Amino acid sequence: MTHLALKNISKHFGDFTAVRDFDLEVKKGEFVSFLGPSGCGKTTTLRIIAGFEIPSSGVITINDMDITNKAPNQRNVGMVFQSYALFPNMTVSQNIGFGLRVRKEKESEVKDRVAEMLSIIHMEEKANSYPYQLSGGQMQRVALARALAIRPEVLLLDEPLSALDAKIRVALRAEIRSIQQKLGITAIYVTHDQEEALSLSDRIVVMNKGEMEQVGTPFEIYNFPTTVFSANFVGTLNNASAEVVDPANGLISIGGVQFESAVDLKERKKGDKVRVAIRPERLGFASEQKKANVVDCTIENITFLGSIVRIQVTIGKAKFYMDTFNNPFLELPKIGDKDQVTCSKEAVLVLDE
Amino acid sequence: MTFITRLRRFPFWSWLWFMTGALYFILPLLATFEFSLSWDPQYPLKAYQRAFEDQRFWNSFMYSNMLALTTILISIILIVPTAYWIRLRLPQARRIVEFITLMPFVVPAIILVFGLIRIYSQPFTVPFTDIVILQPLTNFKMGTNILIVAGYMVLSMPYMYRSVDTGMRTVDVRTLTEAAQSLGANWFIIITRIILPNIRSALLSGALLTFAIVVGEVVLASFLGVSAFGPYLFLLGQHRAYEPAALSFVSFLLTWLVMGLIQLVTGSQEQAAGAH
Repeated sequence: MTHLALKNISKHFGDFTAVRDFDLEVKKGEFVSFLGPSGCGKTTTLRIIAGFEIPSSGVITINDMDITNKAPNQRNVGMVFQSYALFPNMTVSQNIGFGLRVRKEKESEVKDRVAEMLSIIHMEEKANSYPYQLSGGQMQRVALARALAIRPEVLLLDEPLSALDAKIRVALRAEIRSIQQKLGITAIYVTHDQEEALSLSDRIVVMNKGEMEQVGTPFEIYNFPTTVFSANFVGTLNNASAEVVDPANGLISIGGVQFESAVDLKERKKGDKVRVAIRPERLGFASEQKKANVVDCTIENITFLGSIVRIQVTIGKAKFYMDTFNNPFLELPKIGDKDQVTCSKEAVLVLDE
Repeated sequence: MTFITRLRRFPFWSWLWFMTGALYFILPLLATFEFSLSWDPQYPLKAYQRAFEDQRFWNSFMYSNMLALTTILISIILIVPTAYWIRLRLPQARRIVEFITLMPFVVPAIILVFGLIRIYSQPFTVPFTDIVILQPLTNFKMGTNILIVAGYMVLSMPYMYRSVDTGMRTVDVRTLTEAAQSLGANWFIIITRIILPNIRSALLSGALLTFAIVVGEVVLASFLGVSAFGPYLFLLGQHRAYEPAALSFVSFLLTWLVMGLIQLVTGSQEQAAGAH
């Protein structure tokens, strides 16, 4: 059943369109991420759900109730901000209990709920600390507890981990996901970090220039991108201009080098210009594995990235990256060597030019 | 460490300028204090006793304190929401408002008081008729009090507005407001429980400056004919020698006492905020 619905939402600031025709239905307990570069409209969309921006057109519903024009303090939507936004004049307990006291809940109930939230974020011993006495990670956990304490219909998270260092970010994102699943709360998460979106979400909305590029599970978004932007933004991707050679058999040509794709090309005609996309990890040396597409290449560059080794090769006139797992016995080619690379036909994605 | 090395590391010029500045301010004060004790060598505190015995001193001092507190209260009620709204929703209006708040530096108090007297010494009538709805404000005590508080609000506006605005700059007003809104708070709760407590030190600074301006102000009080502390001190200075020196010294002590208290309060608050 749909819990949160955004129907045909658009937002204009003067001549600038921040969000255009945004349509999304979110199920109860689902974790949805808005992923995209700066200025793509993801935060504006989140702020529209929170009530900080009123959409120029469209409707927002929670449990089928129209909240489009409701004030932010009447929506029962919890929000976690990038800058934590803890009230500096209040202790951790007072911050967490603020929303409940505003709602004039009984003091005994407030205390119980605050204790429950402190236990969930494992910060019981910091109950009487002030925000300035906490680390960034602790502050964001308190901000999360404060947003959850009011039992919101929807939890909104606006790049909550951006201000934290890498290790804490990884730990905290696992904690956020675990708490969200434990409480079964519907969450919308805004991020420009693809790894965060892929690891946390039930579904991802890839956004670009105010529009939805693709909506899907992390698996779908990574493996089956439907647009060039989506393919490029999520993960590293080789892409090159190509031409359809034989639509019936899925044959395409990249600068004269022929590839076979598993994508259905029946709706395209011979000679159609398309864009071919292949993930670096789907390419391998032909000697290592026999696959459908075996093509000649020249080794251009080799970059050591720790667990993987990235090899740049030229196929025809196009440059491609190929990733291979690092191991101590790996025999790497030399720059300038001629070799052959291969990939399965499923690895060859065909997108509109 | 040799003596020469120590000598080289001693910030001689910094200390020289600091001491010169300190002497420039402290010497006249010491001279005033010394003079205030010299009325009767047998009884050095005579000037202080005489000054405090005068009922007109207490009346004018208390009256000026009341004016100062009223000015501070109304200034806070007007300026805090204004500065808050400009930071939150009207950042484009900040330059205009800052320009307006600086006007008291350009327009002297004497111009202000003549303008007030000229406009408010006439009765308020229903437009295009002679029906009087309010007597001239200068004709009755409450009216004059309203005028003088309004005038003091204008004079203290640059200090109060800037203090409040600076205080709001140190806290992320917009995000704190949005966080409070998302938790269900209305505007009244946001201002009283989130904004005001977080700009407390700025409010205290603005309030102190306003207090100092109002208690020592002479021009507005003289021309509006009220028995405030400024005109009293001025008159006393014209007719007596030792009591004004004693009162001036006491005024300085009072100001320093208040400043010390503010430092105490804001110091602990800044220590708290500093760890962010």
